[in-house]
Amino acid sequence: MDPIIATNELKKTYRVGKVDVPALRGVNLLVEEGEFVAVAGPSGCGKSTLLHILGGLTYPTAGHVLVDGNDFSDMTDADRTRFRRHKIGFVFQRFNLLPTLTAGQNIYIAQYIQGNGFNPHRFESVVGLLGIRDKLNHKPYALSGGEQQRVAIARAIICEPKILLTDEPTGNLDTENSQIVLSMMRTLNRTFRQTILMITHNPEAAAIADRLVRMRDGRIVDSF
Amino acid sequence: MVNRMILANVLHRPVRTAVSILAVAIEVVMVMMVVGLTNGLLQDYAKRVEGVGADLLVQPPGASFIFGLTQAPMPIKIGEKLAQVPHVMYVAPCLFQFHTAGGLNIIYGIDLPSFKQVTGGFVYHSGGPFTGPYDVLVDDWYAKANHLKVGQNHSLLNHDFRVAGIVEHGKGARLFIPIETAEDLSGAHDKASVFFLKCTDPAYTSQVVDAIHQLLPKYQILSVKEWMSLMTSNNMPGLGAFVNAMIAIALGIGFLVIFLSMYTTITERTREIGILKSLGASKGYIINIILREASLLALVGIGLGWLGAMIGRRVLLGAFPTLSVDLTVGWAVRAALLALAGSVVGAFYPALRAAQLDPVDALAYE
Repeated sequence: MDPIIATNELKKTYRVGKVDVPALRGVNLLVEEGEFVAVAGPSGCGKSTLLHILGGLTYPTAGHVLVDGNDFSDMTDADRTRFRRHKIGFVFQRFNLLPTLTAGQNIYIAQYIQGNGFNPHRFESVVGLLGIRDKLNHKPYALSGGEQQRVAIARAIICEPKILLTDEPTGNLDTENSQIVLSMMRTLNRTFRQTILMITHNPEAAAIADRLVRMRDGRIVDSF
Repeated sequence: MVNRMILANVLHRPVRTAVSILAVAIEVVMVMMVVGLTNGLLQDYAKRVEGVGADLLVQPPGASFIFGLTQAPMPIKIGEKLAQVPHVMYVAPCLFQFHTAGGLNIIYGIDLPSFKQVTGGFVYHSGGPFTGPYDVLVDDWYAKANHLKVGQNHSLLNHDFRVAGIVEHGKGARLFIPIETAEDLSGAHDKASVFFLKCTDPAYTSQVVDAIHQLLPKYQILSVKEWMSLMTSNNMPGLGAFVNAMIAIALGIGFLVIFLSMYTTITERTREIGILKSLGASKGYIINIILREASLLALVGIGLGWLGAMIGRRVLLGAFPTLSVDLTVGWAVRAALLALAGSVVGAFYPALRAAQLDPVDALAYE
């Protein structure tokens, strides 16, 4: 079976003023479907850039990225947007909920943008799984960090994405809420074979993954 | 869902929303009031001239259809020739004077008996006809606006006139003085600015016009219907340009405020746009949200503007009873369309910028 994520000599260089700043210097990564992979490494090693490229938020400077059989190198911005809409779910460190919408609306909007309409059964099962049924009418500012992150996870998985990309999901949470969020991600992976790629600085978070990939200076230096 | 999000955004920033709505409302009020005042004043005057009851107007050669602009009045004796034209029943000479204190008013210097024949006579609210050379008849609206009563003195053309009577409005001017007095004050003895002609039957109007053309080849002869059709802002020197300039300014205000408002919104909501993009929202989706939000602000502003124009009209007419503000459905719709178009165009560039935001930069925006 082909890996769901495959990168080959993936490079990304940012132009800052007149200076080229290489963020990725040739990343080769394979992730199997249903795998839970943690990516760790020091700040500035290219973890977030890798996540953004895998999610189609930005494009690589060189190399190839195959995600679920689609080569991002050949795709237009509109194609990557469409792909992201149907295949990718994001969870961010800062939750990134829309502040003017309620928790329920924040989840529903993902279904709306996907264009398949509101699926009440899926909605119910996701909010039940994440234990946020009684928080659906609350605005983000009225929720704790842990609750906000659970809403963000619900939003990310409501459309049944092929891959869940999470960027420091426990970075803004206390220990108790971190454990709850990690446990839910583990459940998603184990129960629903959700492919997860998680960036983290937290060794405890990295420990729950199937595999840990270490990055340094824009390259993968270790994978075990 | 998009509507809910737009509504939530609009309610989330009440001051910005209020300012945007107010700007659109001012735009609509400006357009409607400027056009309403212009058309209202013209139409009001046209109706009053129609109310004289004449079928034809005879003016000197080269005279403007705008009454009072004529520099060279006609000899009053022409009236005798006009009266002999077949199918002409009555002829009433009139010499115009301008009264500029407290606003621009045309004073009709009239020969009361002939004017009565053409018009059918004044309806007096109080008082009666002239009894002396410095008597003036004022219409009820002018009397109300200037708090005049019969017997009071009223200063006109640097002279004190006694208010002899207050008459029903709608007979040409708001102020009437004896034609002899008008001649004395202007130094134009035995002259008239216009002759009002009443035909034996309106059906003879064109025949009478032809006959007068033969009699007085260079004179301006217009049927009242023709004259009324000329009373539009486009036919008034500079007035059409003034109205268009005011509409352009109003449109500019609405456009700039919406542009600034939406531009600020995009900056404030950069991160939210990044979130939507991370969820897979397309450029079209982002543009759609911004334009719909601007349209919502515009629509509420338009409603408020319509209400404001109606209130403004009442306030103006309360303060200045002689004014006429003609608010029409046609111009209400045109003002609305202009405001909506201005808002959408104003929001388009910010919407385009929002759609082109880099999602990674947008998500990192503090």
